[in-house]
Amino acid sequence: MNRSISRPSLPALEHKAKWLSLLLLAISLHVFEAALPSLGPWFKPGLANVVTLLALIILGPSAAAMLAIWRVIVGSFLIGTLFTPTFIISLAGGVAAAAAMITAWRLLPGITLIGVSLIGALTHMTVQFITVESLFIHQQALYYLLPPLLLLSLLTGWINGGLAAYIVSRTEDSD
Amino acid sequence: MLLLISLAAILYAWQWIHYEVSAGPAMIEIYHDKVLLAQYPFPQPGRNILFDAEGALGISKIFIDSKGVHFSSSPCTTQYCVLNGHHSESGDIIACVPNRILVTIKGSRINSGHYDAIVE
Repeated sequence: MNRSISRPSLPALEHKAKWLSLLLLAISLHVFEAALPSLGPWFKPGLANVVTLLALIILGPSAAAMLAIWRVIVGSFLIGTLFTPTFIISLAGGVAAAAAMITAWRLLPGITLIGVSLIGALTHMTVQFITVESLFIHQQALYYLLPPLLLLSLLTGWINGGLAAYIVSRTEDSD
Repeated sequence: MLLLISLAAILYAWQWIHYEVSAGPAMIEIYHDKVLLAQYPFPQPGRNILFDAEGALGISKIFIDSKGVHFSSSPCTTQYCVLNGHHSESGDIIACVPNRILVTIKGSRINSGHYDAIVE
């Protein structure tokens, strides 16, 4: 009996390999950030968002969205916070940031990577607060903390966007 | 451009929130979810208070003295609330998300004894 085995094309395999490489990098950064000393309540530099941004530019929107979801799931499993409030807050922030970056990249012509990263960082922080307020604390007083943390997000979003732009330019040079 | 617009909006929101929070005498409020568990005038001159706040996981111990307020212990695993340290400024908050406890400082210290009198 003849059975034809369908093999994935080389470009499809390359796409998967790149996605997995970026996912591993994002998970490593997620774990690394969890091990960093606290820079303040609920504040992290958001280095893993750089990888989501790279996935968006290199592999496209759906790959970036899936990467954001799997990064939080596997990263939280490794640091022991899976299905805890920390996981839910991370997942909500990560997915919302990815969705905002994808939307900005597709709908705003001429936007730079720094602009996309700024939108992602601000969305990430805001959605984290909304998640905490609506699911866990139920006190609007929480939002007192939001403006100073948004200012820090602007800074990290700008740095992360610059980092992503540099990596993309080096990748294009080497191609 | 996006950076400047965001910066201006955030600074305006911060200023507005600070103005709203600073109204009235300074009080420390301790919440579990929507329930106000305790409310103390701040600062507490020469008096220390250790409040047991019953949360979703157990009891968070909250210590108030003349210098400020802090979580002295918490049943959560992350201990971010304890590591957060002392807070003493109007608008400061400390939250223990796993135990669902929130501590806020509202109002201005000027109105509650930080100065003996205000003379014009």
